[in-house]
Amino acid sequence: MSRPVIRRSLRSPAVRMSAVVAGVVLVAAGCGSGGSSGGGGGGSVKLKYSLWDDNQLPQYKKCAEAFHAKNPKITVEVTQTAWAQYWQNLTTQVVSGTAPDVFTNSVLYFPQFQKNNQILDLTSYIRRDAVDLQQYQANLADVWTRDGKRYGLPKDWGTMGVAYNKEMAQRARLTPQALDAWNWNPVDGGDFGRAVAAMTVDENGRTGLEPGFDKNKVKTYGLAIAYEGGAVGQDSWGPFAVSNGFQYVDRNPFGTKYNYTDPRLTQTLDWFAGLIRKGYMPAYDKQSTVGADGLLQSGKAAMTIAGSWMAKTYTADGKVAFAGMPTGPTGRKTPINGLSDAVYANGRHKEEAWQWVKFLASTECQDIVAGEAVVFPAITTSSARAEAAQQAAGRDMRIFTQPVATPGETFVLPVTDQGDRILDIVQSAVDRVWLGQTDAKSALGQANSDVNALLKK
Amino acid sequence: MSMTLGRRKGRPARPRTGNRARSKENRAAGLFLLPAFVGFAVFYLYPTGRGIWISLTDWNLLSDPKYVGADNYVEVAEDPLFWNALKVTAYFVFITLGVQVGVALLLAAIMVRLTGSVVVRALLLVPWLVPNVTIGLIWLWMLDANLGFVNHLMGKTGSDTHGFFASPDEALLSVSAVNIWAGTGYVALLLYAGMLQIPGELYESASLDGAGEIRMFFTITLPLLRPILALVMVVSVIGSFQIFDTIAVTTKGGPVDATRVAYYYIYQEAFTHFRMGYAAAMALCLVVVLGGLTYLQMRLLRASTSDLA
Amino acid sequence: MSTSIQARPTTRATPAKPAAGASERRSSRRKFSLGRVLAWLVLGVSLLITLFPFYWMLRTALTDGNHLYSDSTSLWPENFTFANFKRVLGLASDEESRAAGGSGADLDFLLYTRNSIVYTTAIVVGQTLSCAMAGYALARLRFRGREFAFAVVVGALMVPPIFTLLPNFVMVKDLGMLNSFAGMVAPTLLMTPFTVFFLRQFFMSIPREIEEAAMLDGAGHWRIFWRVVLPMSKGPILTIALTTAVWAWKDYLWPLLVGNEPDNRVLTTGIGVFLQQSPNARPDWTGLMAASTLSVVPMLILLVVFGRRIVNGLDFTGLK
Repeated sequence: MSRPVIRRSLRSPAVRMSAVVAGVVLVAAGCGSGGSSGGGGGGSVKLKYSLWDDNQLPQYKKCAEAFHAKNPKITVEVTQTAWAQYWQNLTTQVVSGTAPDVFTNSVLYFPQFQKNNQILDLTSYIRRDAVDLQQYQANLADVWTRDGKRYGLPKDWGTMGVAYNKEMAQRARLTPQALDAWNWNPVDGGDFGRAVAAMTVDENGRTGLEPGFDKNKVKTYGLAIAYEGGAVGQDSWGPFAVSNGFQYVDRNPFGTKYNYTDPRLTQTLDWFAGLIRKGYMPAYDKQSTVGADGLLQSGKAAMTIAGSWMAKTYTADGKVAFAGMPTGPTGRKTPINGLSDAVYANGRHKEEAWQWVKFLASTECQDIVAGEAVVFPAITTSSARAEAAQQAAGRDMRIFTQPVATPGETFVLPVTDQGDRILDIVQSAVDRVWLGQTDAKSALGQANSDVNALLKK
Repeated sequence: MSMTLGRRKGRPARPRTGNRARSKENRAAGLFLLPAFVGFAVFYLYPTGRGIWISLTDWNLLSDPKYVGADNYVEVAEDPLFWNALKVTAYFVFITLGVQVGVALLLAAIMVRLTGSVVVRALLLVPWLVPNVTIGLIWLWMLDANLGFVNHLMGKTGSDTHGFFASPDEALLSVSAVNIWAGTGYVALLLYAGMLQIPGELYESASLDGAGEIRMFFTITLPLLRPILALVMVVSVIGSFQIFDTIAVTTKGGPVDATRVAYYYIYQEAFTHFRMGYAAAMALCLVVVLGGLTYLQMRLLRASTSDLA
Repeated sequence: MSTSIQARPTTRATPAKPAAGASERRSSRRKFSLGRVLAWLVLGVSLLITLFPFYWMLRTALTDGNHLYSDSTSLWPENFTFANFKRVLGLASDEESRAAGGSGADLDFLLYTRNSIVYTTAIVVGQTLSCAMAGYALARLRFRGREFAFAVVVGALMVPPIFTLLPNFVMVKDLGMLNSFAGMVAPTLLMTPFTVFFLRQFFMSIPREIEEAAMLDGAGHWRIFWRVVLPMSKGPILTIALTTAVWAWKDYLWPLLVGNEPDNRVLTTGIGVFLQQSPNARPDWTGLMAASTLSVVPMLILLVVFGRRIVNGLDFTGLK
């Protein structure tokens, strides 16, 4: 792929001269190059593995140790980079040829790596080592295939719920049962909309439902969501829009046309923007760097939308509990999102990398992951263990597992090409809606045609 | 490093001898210029040629470049984000430079009058010595909407809180303010050194004529400082055009493109979306714009050489 | 256009003293005017604004991470602790670090500082020397194409670095020098147009007679450059070396692109990575401020030791 380019440019005189300069520089710099992850002598191999969730770092370090104990010649170095920079880093590393041997992959970015042949087709390895694809939670494994080739093994899954402050809910006279059975619609907001208003309190102690509520002096916001939901709004508008009948793309995976102008989506976005206008949600232009999570934990917000993988963090101090997503006009919906591990196609130790991926997707590692009770592992038996571990830690995870057991309550996030650019375009448009600069219909009109023009290329 | 000898302009001497001395001087010049020339040829000249070539291709660094002619330039011309980036950059440079030079002039004038203290000057210089990444972090924290010191302070005094970096209306001004904060001390010191060159007698005779401080500043200091001021301006404009680090740490070009300056946009296209051809085309367009601007500034510089001496 | 930016023979004799004397003379006229009080006030407020953010950084770095949410303008750290520094320096265990709001990541401060020093030193030494030679030739030697060469330098001055950045990145990548010191210093090791321009302007102002005298003694250009011109130009060379050093020390974009392995990461990119490893849900502000504090320390030491030199070195008056 990139080889011919290198060879061609090395032939040019200027480059050769710069190679000479480089030699001089090397001496001048005195310290030589660091070199990348060294295979080196003795047959021992050092693999680099990267992930973004700091909450999962400990258990994967444990997996790496267990793996090393089984394969003393292979050491795995785990690095974590926050989601916001993870993909930027990874793409730069891929281009430089220095990407980690194995990395955690997301459906949002999977196609672009696949398209550029930067992740390894694992089909033959899977067949050779007879990995049982039936052991995983349904639908998780096949997301990582394209044109009959398989580019990853599933490692975990997560669904969404509503995290709420127990005390504030009580004050608003909302029982856990009522919260679990709530509904929502984009016209008057339904039970959910009422709950948001009831939990919003201004500095004079008036709730959002009471007359004289001062929206400019809010003490506690009823709801805080992640405004940077990208192209899918996984932890914000996404599940609501889908429960309103919205579908992101014409088909999934690898659809060719997005439906961002669908009124069922724009209605949803406008409803959320209305919450900001009414003072029930924090203003977009007064966001803190600590985000919705910090607002909930510091008592400045009463509710937020959060994934099952955040349950442990949120419930740590006992103030927060979870409720299921409200039932929308077409039912209760939550995205089910799984991750996989991908092998970098230009890595130097592909066989070892595959061994590590296989280990990550095996009961052995997934049981370790289950024990930490952060995410649900992809293997169904490990997943059951995780739920038991959560239960043991006093966390009721049923609101996250029930949708998976109920047909039609989960949906898979869209997988298409050009994911990174679509994300930028849609985020920009949705930002304008949050700011109240324009309504959703006019903001998304241009975005939708830009996005679909990209997909046609 | 005082050099009060001779008043001859630094014009190379004309050797009396003919060809042999000339060729010897040619050879010496060659040797003296060699290292810099190598650096220039390899890292300026060759990349310029290659940059132009890249701008004519569609290339993501992973597959082979594909020649597309002027397509990228057509796209640049039609890209509202590119024009927005130019606008945002110009606005940023204008504000930063204006306030920075204004405040620096005031500080320099005050220091010349009040104190030559090295400690005061060293303290003013601290922000300039700190990497913009660190500065960006410090201010991201200081200006946080919920936890930041500035908002706490404003809350205590009863005024409304601000989003600063999070607000489309305030983000660019905030970034600008951070850069002004970081660079003003440095500019003030340069101007201070320039002001020290102005002969004291000028002020004495002016004050005998009954001129006040403010009038002397405008009739003596400012005109005589112009050459230095012009040079400082050139350096500052070049510097603030390259605004990147602060934005990379604080706003990442947002919210809603409010701080997506030219450098950041080119960087994003090149290293987030790996559209090397498009990024190179934008960079070339920026060169043209900057070239015109620098040319104007040089004219300004030339116009000001005759003021003193 | 370029040649008109003439260097003026410097007539300034020993910078600070006479002028300071003059200002004292001037100001002694009126001791307690309102203007003076006001001026001191402006200076004082400026210093406060300049320095306070650094104090707040330190104050945050010494605050217990779990107490950040308490609304506070208290000037003293809440629940004073050194734990954040320990955490950032990797002296705390993962569990401790996570309990304090971190992610278990640390900053290899000594290594990154060493890398920054190597990076900065290589560039300053190489660039200053090579550009001084070129500046000398452009200012003093008569050779064919001199005007053209200088015009090229001035032209290059206008080209924004982002333009050469992309192809240079590609070249460094093709040469396999990504993530090496060689690749990091290469583009600026031998020249930047500004340094050549700056030194050329200064050399123009050195009186011709000195060189002519040396030439009569039989010295060649090489000898004159090393023995006469360089020693005479300590001031401007210090100025430009200092400017280059600060620039290289603060550089972020280029090292970010080509030096992103732990072995050759400099302080700026190290801080960037530490920021990236902050927990997803909320940045580890106490840890970040501790890291920021550490990153400021080397420069502060430099300022304390070489304060006078640095402060007096910032002087463009040789060029006009």
